[in-house]
Amino acid sequence: MPNTKVDIKADKRVLKAASLMGPSAGLPTVVESDKDGKITRIRPFYYDENHDWESKNPWKIEARGSSFEPPRHSLPASYYLTYKKRVYSNNRVRYPLKRVDWDPNGERNPQNRGKSRYVRISWDEATDIIAKELLRIRDKYGMSAVLAEADMHGEGKHIAPSHGCMNRLLSLLGGYTVQMRNQDSWEGYSWGSKNVWGGEPVGEMQPSGNLWPDIAKNAELLLFWAGDPEVTAVGFDGYMASRLSQWIHSLGIKFVHIDPALNFSGCYLADKWIPIQPNTDAALYLGIIYLWLKEGLYDKEYVKTHAVGYEEFFDYVLGKADGEPKTPAWASEKTGVPEWTIKALARDWAHKVTSVTIGNGGPGIRGAYSTEPARLQSICLSMQGLGKPGRHQAKWIEWNLHTDTFPMPHQGKKAIDLPHRCEIVRPAGSQKDLNATGLLGRVKEKERQEALAKQAALIAGKEYKPEDQEAKENKEKAAAGSNAAAFFAKGKEEGRYRLSESAAAIEELAEICKTTENPPMQSVPKCLVHDAILKDQISWYGLYSFCGPASEQWEEHVFPVEGCSRIHAIWTDAPCMVTCWNDGFNFVKAVRSEEIEFIIAQQPWLENDCLLADIVLPVQTKFEMDDISDDKGGGVMCTVFRERPACPPVGESLDDFDCVAEVARKISPEIFNAYTNGDKPKERVIELFWQGCSVHDLDVDDEFHKYDMFILPCDPDIQDFKLHPPGLRRFAEDPENHPLSTPTGKLEFTSTGIKENFPDDPERPPYPKWVESSELHDERLSSPRAKNYPLLCMSNHGRWRFHANLDDITWNREVETMKIRAKDGYQYEPAWLSPKTAEARGIKHGDIVKIFNERGTVLCAAYVTPRVVDGVVYVDHGSRFDPIDAEKLDRGGAINLITPHAITSKNATGMVVSGFLVEVAAVTDEEMEGWKKQYPEAFARKVDEACGVCLDGWMIDEKKEA
Amino acid sequence: MGRKAFVFDIARCSGCYCCQLACKDEHCGNDFTPIAAPQPDIGQFWVKVKDYVNGSAPKVAVHYVPEMCNHCEKCALLAIAKDGDVYRREDGLIIIDPVKAKGHKELATACPYGAVYWNAELDIPQKCTGCAHLLDNGYKLPRCVEMCATGALQFGDTDDPAMQDLIEGATVLKPETGCAPQVYYRNIPGKFIAGTVYDPVEKEVLIGARVRAINGGKLYMTHTDEYGDFWFKDLAVGVFDVYVEAKGYKTKVFTGLRTRECVNLGDIALEKE
Repeated sequence: MPNTKVDIKADKRVLKAASLMGPSAGLPTVVESDKDGKITRIRPFYYDENHDWESKNPWKIEARGSSFEPPRHSLPASYYLTYKKRVYSNNRVRYPLKRVDWDPNGERNPQNRGKSRYVRISWDEATDIIAKELLRIRDKYGMSAVLAEADMHGEGKHIAPSHGCMNRLLSLLGGYTVQMRNQDSWEGYSWGSKNVWGGEPVGEMQPSGNLWPDIAKNAELLLFWAGDPEVTAVGFDGYMASRLSQWIHSLGIKFVHIDPALNFSGCYLADKWIPIQPNTDAALYLGIIYLWLKEGLYDKEYVKTHAVGYEEFFDYVLGKADGEPKTPAWASEKTGVPEWTIKALARDWAHKVTSVTIGNGGPGIRGAYSTEPARLQSICLSMQGLGKPGRHQAKWIEWNLHTDTFPMPHQGKKAIDLPHRCEIVRPAGSQKDLNATGLLGRVKEKERQEALAKQAALIAGKEYKPEDQEAKENKEKAAAGSNAAAFFAKGKEEGRYRLSESAAAIEELAEICKTTENPPMQSVPKCLVHDAILKDQISWYGLYSFCGPASEQWEEHVFPVEGCSRIHAIWTDAPCMVTCWNDGFNFVKAVRSEEIEFIIAQQPWLENDCLLADIVLPVQTKFEMDDISDDKGGGVMCTVFRERPACPPVGESLDDFDCVAEVARKISPEIFNAYTNGDKPKERVIELFWQGCSVHDLDVDDEFHKYDMFILPCDPDIQDFKLHPPGLRRFAEDPENHPLSTPTGKLEFTSTGIKENFPDDPERPPYPKWVESSELHDERLSSPRAKNYPLLCMSNHGRWRFHANLDDITWNREVETMKIRAKDGYQYEPAWLSPKTAEARGIKHGDIVKIFNERGTVLCAAYVTPRVVDGVVYVDHGSRFDPIDAEKLDRGGAINLITPHAITSKNATGMVVSGFLVEVAAVTDEEMEGWKKQYPEAFARKVDEACGVCLDGWMIDEKKEA
Repeated sequence: MGRKAFVFDIARCSGCYCCQLACKDEHCGNDFTPIAAPQPDIGQFWVKVKDYVNGSAPKVAVHYVPEMCNHCEKCALLAIAKDGDVYRREDGLIIIDPVKAKGHKELATACPYGAVYWNAELDIPQKCTGCAHLLDNGYKLPRCVEMCATGALQFGDTDDPAMQDLIEGATVLKPETGCAPQVYYRNIPGKFIAGTVYDPVEKEVLIGARVRAINGGKLYMTHTDEYGDFWFKDLAVGVFDVYVEAKGYKTKVFTGLRTRECVNLGDIALEKE
């Protein structure tokens, strides 16, 4: 046998956090590169590589004679395993770009955005143009004319965050208009469930500490409703959710999946799949409640002592209010679920100790009137004794959010809290600032403070007494903080930016993190940006702060605010509107308006909204950056670690912070100095972030500096239910002393807030109802529109992408549920159709199909499968925009281009991206040829064989042009 | 030293494809000659995950099977090897030498499992090496196994008792080739017959109804669950008669059900006697 030993020693080996959540990072992975600086491989990180595993008190859940423990290595998802393809993608922006027919001194040709190509320019030219344009716009319209689109998700980066660097500069220049992110993946819970159970800050059940140990010990049935542990969880936290769900299932707990499609968790773990027509979940809950009422199958005593407003709601269910009993037969008509199955589900839920599990996203929570299924789910759980052993709403992801104690038995004496350098998603600063700008109107400050103080007490496990000093302090904190996280903030709360105590104590760090003097002057909800541009004036409710308390939902806001400008320029570092938000084609129309004089995108890849920009700045991926990161959500062990550069920058890219710094440099030395804190060295910033991350004092052996990694020891007492009762146990046991954050402190089957503020709202009435259609939405099969558009389109987060991220990973694109290479060689987004639905249209697996409605047409390839219910087409969002006609025809499969325009409901400012009417048809050869003739430029663009849409396709080929 | 073997447990696979993708991360664009030349970016799958979707809504079962070089004891490539273009290592792994096998196109078609690919650009046949280049450097596991988050894919020595336990009762793909593969599979599901039993007048599922399936004198029996559902899983391909019985109801019989494909009998209405 020959000597075949190969030298595989890596030249360099660094740690990188695997998460695309955005500001929060993720699991540590090991990235190796060779002597040429090329990334060679990406592997899991082994926690016992340098550290003594046992000394970290690794956690363990024990239940029913079985135990669940963390693996010795991290569990990065495929998203990160393949990330070198993202770093070196043919779609990378390698140098600054300018749209060829956009001339800041002449014709701007806004009508060609999404059509005309790009030329390479120098950094010097790009920053000159941006600086001049910003100052010109400031002089002409004021800084409020600049819209900053800076919100999640994206790479988790800290010292040069993916989002918000430009906000820092725009503030220094006098302010801006901020895009307020709507609650895109949990709309219903935020706008609905909050009005049942509080659940601040996001509206899902809170607190969520120790839920999984309690479920493992006590639950008998898990209902999977809106969410898939194999999908959304993966982008946040890797594969811990897969391991956890397998273990829970192995304990003999039954899994029932309710979903129009048999999702990726269901297809290997479900004991029962109940297919349901998209966005009809509200009817199913009502049918279930009807049966419980008729058969007395609910916890009457609990409802009496823990809920309010149930009598009128029960009357509605029984038909006493409107003459229409919401029987299982009635629900069957709406949902397509057989009446007998609805009854069986209702009884099984009532007879077994049941929890509902969710995971953000999912077809059940992002449709029209998503408030209603969400509220009804909360009510169903309440009727079965919410908070008692094994009876919860539990989430498969975000184990790092919302509570001091984890649903997973994680971590140590303290929670990690890495500072953020830039302000994002908060519309404005303190109460005072808001009042000064006139943005706020009339926030009911007392109610807001009270809700936050109650929630703080609930999470801390303290009795709530309004006169308490602590409650008072919490109220003050809530008043001072600009975001809902304030209620578990322990740090200094002055100013707009919440820093942890340890961070705020370091003056040099506080200075770096201090958001600059001028807050945004006005805001526009992300789901209304197109309206803000195209309409004279818009108004909406809520979204005063991201994840603010329910009491903010009653506040009306307007755009433009008096004294502020309309939008004339857009600076985006989150360029995904066309593929992730509502009515993407309408967004294209909006940004083609003459009023929009200038669009800058800064992004590592030329994708989606970048194709609408006039200047594109090349950004480094996190693999090229020097940084610090943390992992609070990966579910294995909590860590803080140094992220050193894995490879040299690709092309001329700079990190996000420096992209903006280069613009600041062109404005003035003073602005540059203020923006960069006197050009403070990165090494110093990283060290300060470590010192201010709340746990650095626990690192007695200085592991962080020795190994670039600090592993937080687990708290041995974390699973003591007496100290840390699971979920809403305290409320369940003593509702008077542990009230919810709702106005009554109880579970509000009829909402006090809605009743007071919108008593006649037909779309989100005081108690939840079935809404067939309304002024805003007409997306049911009963609609006359269904004659032309007889299918319901459902959408979820993708299995192979994280929202708009990762659509260009060549290896993922070889998996059929990611892309299907059709007969023309193009890799289309799969559109799931049942065999019957496909056959009725003469569509075969792999055929090119068009999905269309009044808003436009999106091309996909048919994925014919029994995993989706008849009458439905299922396309995940996030596929990259590849416009044939940017206002009406897309080849990239970006389904959100044709999602409904209107918000969740009149008074609920969310978006509707699942459960809407379309038709699907096979694309004939003649039709395709016709498009090729009509749009020769679009079809002439190069499409990469492996990664699809690519940089070359959008560049002017100067040799050819000459 | 025993031989290296892989064991894959279908019941533990979530279908994440990380085995397929980890292989790409290791081999695409990385040169480990003389163990392996770079794999092309797309088109080759030294580990290929196949998904199997069976049944019809709502009785659907999905499972995943990764296929790779079986590192067979009686490797078909070794039978035609010349000048050391293919060889077996001491640990049992079969390696195609990327230098010596240049131009040896016959190797790309010799494997009855289709595990060998032809790289036209480099003019060589290529396949899974068991990440021998990593094992030689002290790694315990090939990349595909290391990345398996749920422990479905295992790798080890055939003389290790733990491996022997896993291999016991496992099957191999296409045993009829006679190649004696060293990649073993556990819990490959058979076919199913399933349905939901209900009373069409009361519009209620029937819980505890007795359902029998008979195939050539062999009887399978089950009772419907809380949802009126019954499942006969892991059936062989054959012809079955199914009897659905509940007290006070007329028995319903389905004869001649063929399980070449999985059978969903749908919602079965039982009439009262």
